[in-house]
Amino acid sequence: MDLTSLEPGQTLLSEPLVISIGDAAQYRAAVEDDAGLYAKEHVVPPMAVAAKLMTAAMDAVGLPAGAVHTGQELEFARPVAEGTELACIVMVVQNNLRQGTRFLVLELSGTEGEELAVAGRTTIAITEGEGTS
Amino acid sequence: MSTSSVSGAPETLTPVTHRVSQAQLVKYADASGDHNPLHLDVDFAAGTPYGKPIAHGMLVLAFVSELLTKSFGRAWLCGGKLKTRFRAPVYPGDMVTASGTLKSATDAQATYTVSVHNQGGEAVITGEATVPLAA
Repeated sequence: MDLTSLEPGQTLLSEPLVISIGDAAQYRAAVEDDAGLYAKEHVVPPMAVAAKLMTAAMDAVGLPAGAVHTGQELEFARPVAEGTELACIVMVVQNNLRQGTRFLVLELSGTEGEELAVAGRTTIAITEGEGTS
Repeated sequence: MSTSSVSGAPETLTPVTHRVSQAQLVKYADASGDHNPLHLDVDFAAGTPYGKPIAHGMLVLAFVSELLTKSFGRAWLCGGKLKTRFRAPVYPGDMVTASGTLKSATDAQATYTVSVHNQGGEAVITGEATVPLAA
């Protein structure tokens, strides 16, 4: 995707996301989070949802390999049970070029039915000339 | 956690420490789906300003969420908010510690200054977290 063409308000992604019991366990092992709450209550670590949303957003944009994550806002509205299907949306909020670096701000959300589960805003810096992948 | 404030919110949160390894970055890439070579490919990373692979920002941020989950349990999952900046890279081998200090509190919520520092005392993540307090 041509990063220069991204417009504020543009929807980059709108698709379902399911984090299975296995996915949640794999995530907990990867981040070495030994808090027992998630396994005990069969809920997904909220950062696992955020991470999957981020990856989906980055894949949708086709960010170059050297893109760097510089800021992150997150809101966890409600716990997400393992295996729950979330409706995920990623939108462009800002797309600015400053001193040779492109700053892309994306808004992410994961909704269960009518209820917001996770929302966030991420800022990514891309050095111009790295191209797109 | 240490001394509680008038609101009942603790003044400081019990820190969470992790040593980040290259093996962990591989595991995190598989778990998150983020296979950016900046985190995984030594040759690619050598050609970047970092010179070597760096940890995923969302992996290091997960340590802040762990800190808050261990401190507040379900309350963090039911209305927690986080606003952070990634200040410096974390490299495999680094020992990082997530911590939090109470900034303000009402009967309804507490706001903490949160950070992650590396073994050299450098802040790699800074920000704020807001947690709803049980009635």
